[in-house]
Formats: sequence, structure tokens, C-alpha cells
Amino acid sequence: MSEHGPVAMNHEHATASRNSLPGVTGPSRSPVLPIDARAVLAEIRAAHVTHVITVPDTHQRTLLALLARSESPKLITVCTEDEAIGINAGLYIGGARPMLLIQNNGLYACLNTLKAIPLDARVPTVMLIGEHGRTLSMPSREDPDRAVRMLEPTLELWGVPYYRLEGPGDLGCLQRGFTECLENGGPLAILIGAPLAAASGVRIL
Amino acid sequence: MMTRKDAVAVLAEGRNGAISVGAMQAIMAWHAAGQGTADHLDALGCMGSASSLGLGIALARPQHKVIVLDGDGCLLMQLGSLVTVAAQAPTNFYHFIFENGRYETSGNQALPGYGRFDLCHLAAAAGYRRAVSVDDASALRRLLPEILASPGPVLIRLGIAPDEPVTPWPKVTMSEQIGALRARFLGDPVVAEAK
Repeated sequence: MSEHGPVAMNHEHATASRNSLPGVTGPSRSPVLPIDARAVLAEIRAAHVTHVITVPDTHQRTLLALLARSESPKLITVCTEDEAIGINAGLYIGGARPMLLIQNNGLYACLNTLKAIPLDARVPTVMLIGEHGRTLSMPSREDPDRAVRMLEPTLELWGVPYYRLEGPGDLGCLQRGFTECLENGGPLAILIGAPLAAASGVRIL
Repeated sequence: MMTRKDAVAVLAEGRNGAISVGAMQAIMAWHAAGQGTADHLDALGCMGSASSLGLGIALARPQHKVIVLDGDGCLLMQLGSLVTVAAQAPTNFYHFIFENGRYETSGNQALPGYGRFDLCHLAAAAGYRRAVSVDDASALRRLLPEILASPGPVLIRLGIAPDEPVTPWPKVTMSEQIGALRARFLGDPVVAEAK
């Protein structure tokens, strides 16, 4: 079964604590369709994001290349995902509209900070998470790569709502998710299923 | 050598309106000194994140000075944050490290490599604009106005001796503090452009 359009999955824990995001359950799309990085950047800008804080992600390198040569939103590259969550919170406190751009492996690396700041302190924390290592022809939960296969169960275990960005038709989830996250507080993950397509004229090394 | 309480008394006296972010043992001392106000945030349950929280505030609010009250064990937990701070080079960022070589909260276990590493050298090598080492309260009192008047990022190592327990953990939540601090900023017309 595949889902069309923006898909939000809520685990019961998340629904209980947030009581907001509409939940649609089901396996992720297969095959995953490529999305143009420029379209993702347009959605980020439409959400009035001021800062993108990143530990670079392979799936999103085309988007990172666009952000690196763009004045707005400002790109902040950090050493760890723990730092990214802290800086995101500080920027939010100061009145900015930041978001994170990280990788599935990075999500696993920062669970304690995720617990303390987005979850316990309810700081709005939108995370674009690349599903590094994903086999595009199969649903993520069936993937032989553990980092891919365990991502959604991990998010559900921790009560982190998420959307899947698995084709151009899903792009609307970015603005919607950002708005919901600001209104409700807490974390929100947007999972990038396939490498974002390179914009013409952008050379990725 | 000064105690944490001595150093906190000097910092409280010389804070001069700076936003503060506290970590671990510094939190209790800072609150006991009456500094847990609406201009303060505690990094609770996220050891090592105080400087990142402070960096975010400093970047969003460049017209406000931000002082981070960190511990040596906390900094070692996210040592790469020195590089991240230096890369952003916030001129309003002042990073105070209480150094006693101990994980005090968990029972005074020794830090790995204590006596071999040098936090000031690490900060300087990471690219901080300046790193200062202070071991007594009178020197801190003398230097503090000049440090806070100079451009950051500055790391100030505070060598401290073991101290008596200050107070129980303050009854605050990060969520409440964040709400208060953000509301304060959003009420400031300077931040309107970021809304």
C-alpha cells in the first residue's frame, strides 16, 4: 500500500501528548520518488524559516548546496546534532524561526538532547531527516539497513510525530508541519526518503 | 583558589543585564544568588548543551550579551561546540567554565585527563577570540568589566575549589523559563523583524 500526498503518522503516545496532528498510518511509499531540491527550498522559504542548522546529510546535499549560496535562510553548520537542537532552541527563544537538517544516524546520536529540549521543554523543533542508506524500491520498515528500518519505530517510541517526504506530492507537509510544530511545541520530523534531485547549475562535489 | 560560590557572587554583581544560561552545579549557585530571573535559562537534562542554547540566543539577539555558566565536564561532553561557537563568532558571547576536574553532580568522580588538558588552549585553538584563566575572586572582579566590554566569543576558565552544597535543585522547568524569556524578547521591538 502506498500513501499519496502529505502523510503524518502519529503513535498513540504522540497523539496523547500533542493532541493535534492528524494521523494516517500505513507503510511508506515504494518506490520513493525524487524531489527537486529547489522545490524543498521554496517550501522552506514559504514557511518563513530564518535559519537552517545542519550536520550535513547525503540525501540533502543538493539542498545544502543551494542553502550555502543563499542569504536566506541562513545556513549554520554545526559539529553534532546535540548542538543543532540547542542552537535551534536558543534561536527560537530569541524570536527566530529555525529548523534542523540532519540524517537518520544523527537522530540516533542526539536522543538525550531530543528528550530534554524538544520533548520535555516543548521547544518547537522541525527536523528534516535524510534516510541515509535507504533502498528506494521498498518501504522503509522493510529496509535491510538498520538505520533506515528503525527510524520510524524510534520516532514512535519517543513520541515524535513525523511526515514522510517521499515524492513531489508530499511537499505541502513542510509548511503544514512547521505551522503545526510552532502551534503545538515539541519536535516534528520530516523524513526525506530519496536523495533530493540536483538543481541545474549546481555542481555537487 | 576561589569557590564556585565566590565566583558566582562576582558574576552576579557584574552581570549588568546579560542573559544567562546555566548548566549543572552552576544552576544551583546561580539561583541561590538570586539570578534565576526572567533573563535566565537552565540547561536541564541536556548536559553539554548550555553553550549551544546560549549561542542560539546570542545569534538571534546580537544586541544582548549572553553569559554561559558551564562546567568542565559539561564542555567535555560536547567539546566540538567550541568550534561551532568560534565559527559563528558571536561578539556578544561569554563562556564561563567552572573547572574543578570533577563530575560533581554524580558524586565527584574525576574527569578523564584532568591536569593534562587546558581549556583555554582548547578554546583558543578552536578559534575563540580570547581565552582567560582566573583562579581567584578578586582577579575575576577586576577583570570582569573589561572582559564583558570586549568582543566575544571569550572563554573564561574559572578555577574553583570544592565547595559546600548550595541549595536543593531549583523548582523550575525549562519550558517555563523558555516561555518567559521568549515572551520578554518578543515584547522587545528590536526583535519584531524576526517574528
